[in-house]
Amino acid sequence: MMDIAMPRPVHITTPYPTSEEVARRFRIPKRRQKELEALAQKLFAQMQAEKASARGRVLEKEEDRKNASAAY
Amino acid sequence: MPLPPIDQKGIFLNIPYDEEFRSLYLAYIVGLCSLGFVPHIASEIPGGARRLDRILELIQSCRYSIHDLSRVELSAPPNGTPRFNMPLELGITIAWTHLHPRLHNYFVFESEPYRIQRSTSDLNGTDAYVHRGTAEGVLSELRSAFWRDDAPTVPQMLDIHNWVEIGLLAILRVNGTNNPYTQSVFRDLCSLSTRLFELFHPLRKS
Repeated sequence: MMDIAMPRPVHITTPYPTSEEVARRFRIPKRRQKELEALAQKLFAQMQAEKASARGRVLEKEEDRKNASAAY
Repeated sequence: MPLPPIDQKGIFLNIPYDEEFRSLYLAYIVGLCSLGFVPHIASEIPGGARRLDRILELIQSCRYSIHDLSRVELSAPPNGTPRFNMPLELGITIAWTHLHPRLHNYFVFESEPYRIQRSTSDLNGTDAYVHRGTAEGVLSELRSAFWRDDAPTVPQMLDIHNWVEIGLLAILRVNGTNNPYTQSVFRDLCSLSTRLFELFHPLRKS
């Protein structure tokens, strides 16, 4: 009986819903959609800036190591 | 009585609404949105005499449901009360699934392994997905329960989870509440999670 109710892992093949589809399903007003879009863009930009700065730090360390070994 | 139309992307989320659960709540939203679902929770339904009927309608309209039974202890004193809403909604879902096994699948999640055998022994034989009370655990177990060929990895989902957690502050402020479980905040979180995934992983197929 439980085999019917409690399934094994399910393979999902339905397409991903777009953010517009999600907003439509939840009946989010256009104005609020725009605000959420701005928030998403802001977070995305922040994430990219953080990744770029982390990459910069790695490159700096790499450079320091090269300089140190050259001096040695 | 005609059966309600089933939303193949719809998933009913039966979870505790408390402060300590906030991070796991966000993990469920982010994880489900990143796997291509549109989650629903009971707080989308207004209160009133027909509330339970409407919860049943919401469960019936969703193809899947997740029932998190990790809060089986009493609520905080002095009014320590057991939490019956989650087992109640699970019971309703089990009845619905047994009547129409092709229309609905449900999944039970827990934070501790084997506790379900003690707390809800009638579910013996049911394997719960154990998330161990962490956001990473929830994302990992969701990925185990639902798999898709182009599914994002757990670290990718965890990354989005962290950014949605930051975004939550702005969402709460705009909605004038501290409660992340309200209808409007929940909808904003689903929308933000989906949009962030589009931005972070533009190659996924819509």
